[in-house]
Amino acid sequence: MNRTVRTICLLLVGSLLPAGCSKKNGPVSNDKVFRYPLVAKVKSMDPGNVEDVYGALIASHICESLYTYHYLKRPYVIEPQLADGMPEISDDHLTYTIKIKKGVFYQDDSCFPDGKGRELKADDFVFAFKRIANIRYVSPNWGGFKDRIVGLDAFRDYTAQFKNEFEVDYSKEVEGLRALDDYTLVIKLVKPWPQLLDDLTNVVTAPVPKEAVDLYQKDMNYHPIGTGPYYLKKWNKAVYLELAKNPNFRKEYYPDQGAADDAAAGLLAASGKPLPFIDRIIFRIIEEEQPAWLLFLRGELDVMGIPKDNFSSAVDFGALRPTEAIRQRGIQLDIYDQPSLYYIGFNLLDPVLGKNKPLRQAISLGFDRKKFNELFYNDRWTIAHGLIDPEMNEYDPNLVEAGFSAYDPQQARRLITEAEKIQGGPIPELSIGTVGGDPFSRQIGQFVQRQIQAIGLKVKVEYVDWPTYVEQMNKGDMQVFAGGGVRFNAPDALGVLQMFATKFFAPLGNSFFYSNPEYDRLYDQAEVMFPGPARTELYRRMERMVLADYPAVLTNRRVQWTLRHGWVKNFKPHPFLYGYFKYMDVDSENQNSYKSRTKGLEKER
Amino acid sequence: MRYKTEKVDTLIKGRSLWADGWRRLRKRKFAMLCFVIVLAYFALAAAVYLDEFLKSRFAAQGYTGLRMFNWSQTVGPSYQPPMEKYAWTPDNAQAPQAGWALLGTDFLGQSTWRKMVYGAKTSMTVAICASIISLMIGVPLGALAGYFRGKVDDLVVWLYTTLDTIPYILLVMAFAVVLRNKTIFGWEIRGITAVYLAIGLTSWVSICRLIRGEVLKRKESEYVLAARAIGCSNSRIIFRHLLPNMFHIVIINLSLQFMAFIHAEVILSFLGLGESDRPSWGSMIDAARTELARNVWWEMAAATAAIFIISLALNIFGDALRDCLDPKLRTD
Repeated sequence: MNRTVRTICLLLVGSLLPAGCSKKNGPVSNDKVFRYPLVAKVKSMDPGNVEDVYGALIASHICESLYTYHYLKRPYVIEPQLADGMPEISDDHLTYTIKIKKGVFYQDDSCFPDGKGRELKADDFVFAFKRIANIRYVSPNWGGFKDRIVGLDAFRDYTAQFKNEFEVDYSKEVEGLRALDDYTLVIKLVKPWPQLLDDLTNVVTAPVPKEAVDLYQKDMNYHPIGTGPYYLKKWNKAVYLELAKNPNFRKEYYPDQGAADDAAAGLLAASGKPLPFIDRIIFRIIEEEQPAWLLFLRGELDVMGIPKDNFSSAVDFGALRPTEAIRQRGIQLDIYDQPSLYYIGFNLLDPVLGKNKPLRQAISLGFDRKKFNELFYNDRWTIAHGLIDPEMNEYDPNLVEAGFSAYDPQQARRLITEAEKIQGGPIPELSIGTVGGDPFSRQIGQFVQRQIQAIGLKVKVEYVDWPTYVEQMNKGDMQVFAGGGVRFNAPDALGVLQMFATKFFAPLGNSFFYSNPEYDRLYDQAEVMFPGPARTELYRRMERMVLADYPAVLTNRRVQWTLRHGWVKNFKPHPFLYGYFKYMDVDSENQNSYKSRTKGLEKER
Repeated sequence: MRYKTEKVDTLIKGRSLWADGWRRLRKRKFAMLCFVIVLAYFALAAAVYLDEFLKSRFAAQGYTGLRMFNWSQTVGPSYQPPMEKYAWTPDNAQAPQAGWALLGTDFLGQSTWRKMVYGAKTSMTVAICASIISLMIGVPLGALAGYFRGKVDDLVVWLYTTLDTIPYILLVMAFAVVLRNKTIFGWEIRGITAVYLAIGLTSWVSICRLIRGEVLKRKESEYVLAARAIGCSNSRIIFRHLLPNMFHIVIINLSLQFMAFIHAEVILSFLGLGESDRPSWGSMIDAARTELARNVWWEMAAATAAIFIISLALNIFGDALRDCLDPKLRTD
């Protein structure tokens, strides 16, 4: 008996030993590894189905689009990526002929014969676009293609007869989408599409090999196949994602030109060197801020946004630099604007809010944006005075004086009296829906509730999970929604104006269900206009038209404050470029020696 | 034939189980102190309810409620530490408010003390309502199963055994997720209601099992046989004879379960499945989780102190109650 027990114990201990030892004594890899935190699970990495920032970030390193933004040049410049040169555009701006680079291969994958990635063809773009149009695929990105390409809307109608997306015959011709040969793509438009090149930089428009869709079907969400510098090596939905260097990646080199001060900042030191520099990218999904922060300080994450509760210990706000303790660790601070808009939206289909503009205006006037910014964003973000971001050409600096984001609780209370007249009695209790998975979101919920209560309204907050939030918002089941905002993918402001056009009612973007015939008429004009003073004026006019109707309480815009360990090189923030890790480099020696140095620092403290 | 009875002075006056239990309990000073603490928590919860009622009833007359319970009022700057900037002087207009910041403030400048007090109402409400629900389900089911045996017993035992196989907190969480923000028969289930329903609907197993066992044991006892002999119906035997004689067991069990209900409420609120609009100890701890990084410890300390005191008091009082009410445990 004793011998049996002893044997079992020895076996158990023996089985544990390799696991315990491998981490410390195992072979040390010389790979350059970049570790990046994600605060939420990734919903989809399938280009056509990407709808959130994280999905776009990861997919952009695996899949590539026809065009991209130059990493260093400012103002933002579009350059070819998979395209062989800029497009040939007809005089009427309705036909785009795009040459595709030869010798570009997909990553090796079992969906291809013998597992070897095949060459990219123009047909892959045609397939990818048609797939987004497939009504059974239910792509969240269809809104960008609607009424744009000749025959694509008809193709969408045709797909409605099928029960699932895989039954659709993709060989059915679409007049406006043709591959003349393997290396020539022709896009015919219904009307001019001035933002087409911007949209062709988006990973949503990346080519997709049909073989992959046939094999992985619904699993494409977590099995992206592309031509990019990395491929998905490991994936654990809740915890971890690892990308590894794609051995099939074509020859691409670090840019040798940039903005004026890039050379001085050392950003051109790697000019002409082949990309990518980093061998592996590890995305760690850590929903709680504090564990992520501690991992960053221990050197197990390379970059990190600053949690609000750690801000004062991490940043010297007045001097706009890290605190002494953080600087001793060799950590640097990057501050940059991220074109975005955060808001508390009103559902205008709601019988109480929809007909009552003074009520919506009162809520907007009763919201203390400055306090909100101080409490939740350490005064880092900026107040949003209008829809169009200051990074965009059409930004209207005079909007600040227009007072659409003013704070005037007394005026708000006066407007409530007016609102009660329209309502025909006291305003019933309002219901705000927000995403409430963490203390931060719940604190925001409480703050918004207090602000609205302070002007004499009754309000309750419903905390729901993200999928429920999106579903209720898109169905118009939520009276007021305060769960986030949008981040812009291009320097053109049409994307934000689209959020208020009737033809883009949710789920295509207009979650406010704002409908104004005059605005719709102007939108139809604006969407075919090319950049110029006339378009700028029209955009600004439309912006004021929306703001005057108060479909939302505009709150703030994101200013990114990111801490980065000193061993991360070649980083230059770009608000519209997602696949930029290929330009970045990591000093592995410095990275590996950090832990021992950190231990010394901790002992000193 | 009638017999006359005479009063016998020498007979010792009998005491009921309850009177005897109370007499024994009073001798235990520490248990009595705990009893007073428990009562104080109940009193606080009742006072908050009364204050809310008066506020809604007499708002037109200018009654705005007691300051002690006005947790949503800002009493100082965000995250003011306890005892700091506490300047209570007669000529200071802010003084009456500043006093409420004695235990510090939260991110909105609300008083931690007031939130802690209001948290008592949340916890007590959940514990009381969950107790009532679990009693309403567990006691009749246990009594029916024990009394009728057969298929009724099989069904009840199968039901509670199945529920018992699922880890308690996971089961409560699942119920809370399913019930919250739903409307059932026109009744909107929100916040605290979902919490006590979830806890009540999942916590009747132990009381059901206990009652079933007791009924099994007692259904052949003399007083039940006597009731049966004089033609009492089954329902009368169960509800008028058996259950009143087992009530002390229910009380003992409840006093111990009460604490578990408070803990369950705190856990649910901590996980974001509980009370969201109003303070609760769980949500205070949840908020403090990240705030500890900026040395904001007072919300966590206040909530845990409140939970610790009521848990300790309930535990000691429950033990004492069991010692005093259960005749089998008596040594004197």
